[in-house]
Amino acid sequence: MRKIVTTLMILVGFGLMVLSYTALGTPQCNTSVACSNPRVAFAAGIFVVGIVVAFSSAIFYSVYKGPR
Amino acid sequence: MTADTLPTTDPGSIRRPNEELPQKIGQLSPSWIAFFIAMSVITAVGIYAYLLQINNGLIVTGLRGLGSMAGATWGLYVAYYVYFIGVSFAGITVAALIRIFRIEKLEPVARIGELLTVVSLILGALAIMADLEHPWRAIVNLFQYGRPQSPFFGTFTMVIAGYLFASLVYLYVTSRRDAAILAEHDSRFKGLYRILAAGYTDTREQRRTDRQVTFWLAITILPMLVIAHSTVGFVFGLQTGRPGWFGALQAPGFVVLAGVSGIGNLIMLAAIVRSATRTKGRITLDAFAWLGKLLLGLLITYLYFTAVEILTITYQPGATELNLSEALLEGTYAWIFWGAIVALVAAAALLTWQALTRRWSITVVFATGVLVNIGAVAKRYLIVVPSQTHGQLLPYSTGTYTPNWVEWAIIIGLFALGALMIGAFMKIFPIVPLEETDSP
Repeated sequence: MRKIVTTLMILVGFGLMVLSYTALGTPQCNTSVACSNPRVAFAAGIFVVGIVVAFSSAIFYSVYKGPR
Repeated sequence: MTADTLPTTDPGSIRRPNEELPQKIGQLSPSWIAFFIAMSVITAVGIYAYLLQINNGLIVTGLRGLGSMAGATWGLYVAYYVYFIGVSFAGITVAALIRIFRIEKLEPVARIGELLTVVSLILGALAIMADLEHPWRAIVNLFQYGRPQSPFFGTFTMVIAGYLFASLVYLYVTSRRDAAILAEHDSRFKGLYRILAAGYTDTREQRRTDRQVTFWLAITILPMLVIAHSTVGFVFGLQTGRPGWFGALQAPGFVVLAGVSGIGNLIMLAAIVRSATRTKGRITLDAFAWLGKLLLGLLITYLYFTAVEILTITYQPGATELNLSEALLEGTYAWIFWGAIVALVAAAALLTWQALTRRWSITVVFATGVLVNIGAVAKRYLIVVPSQTHGQLLPYSTGTYTPNWVEWAIIIGLFALGALMIGAFMKIFPIVPLEETDSP
């Protein structure tokens, strides 16, 4: 249980970071003024959420006392 | 005590209701009260200066527009932002050395380094906020409009958010055991310690789990640290239209100078903590010798980078590069440049002498910590300012920039705030990890 949730948290967190950077923030587009904003608003916020989720997994893994 | 719980060396030490907490926690001596008052007053002056700036705009500072206003838009705030971010290098580096290379002599200074990382990252974030005329807009806009193409995206997401949060997690995970030990004492902080301990029991399995967690955190944070410091370098190094900033050495130079200033700060803080908390038996000369050797390696690397940089800008410079290099080497900024070089070379010489003779002195290592930080602050200033005043590609006259009292008050206020945060932590929680023999 502990390992499953921790792994999930890391995957979800890392997934949010990758998604934010590659899909939501339009890094492939840098030649037009139309690209000056990210494709989805708050893409950077989503990246930060990803970081928080991924690193919170360390606290969960350390503190969790339920069934393994 | 269950069969799986680790035994204590002294069974009577499990509950010590009337005993004083270690490392003078909770004790406010007259000198500590004086320290807190002094730092609070300096912080208040900084807040007053900041409010003045918020109400009247950046016109109350020495900052002016580039070109037609012949000034610098980035000045003391940005220089100290880069410096504070650099200081944060110390914590995770030391933690990684302990976890990955098993240098246990550094264990007693690990939490000092972790705390230094967290505090300096907060101060770095506040320093860059001070540079903005409308900080509340930046708070929203960075989340809403941050673009991955921009090095600021990396600085914001990796440094301010990622590195700070990861460091807080590391600090928390490594502090739970001490919180559980302190929760056994009847003290005014007992409730806080119990919350922080979060049900910690000192079993072999828990210790093994904590070792795993801290090892993987160190492994994960270490590349993040390099990326984070590199992105700060990229903020300058990727600007093609700014002679003095554009260059491939900016990112590695930022990482190495971050190490120099971070380890230098850690040395100074460890020496102060050693005297203030009566932990001379824990923070030994060996720890300072290790930090001194690490500092020497980083310092030699940085001096090499500096030599390469000087050679590059003076070998066959264009007109603007020549103007800039003259300002640095023999003009307006020469005293800062050569002062920084003298401080860094003197520190390297002192450390080399100690390493060769194998006779280390805490006082001398402390002095090198002071010297490298003087050098680091000067170098950060020289990275930020001269390119704006003397690196114009457009036909504007040479600019000037002198920070005024508002900027100095805010920066000194930030230092005082940092001292207050570290001082308050030391009065609530052990800044030196408790001994292995102590058990909850």
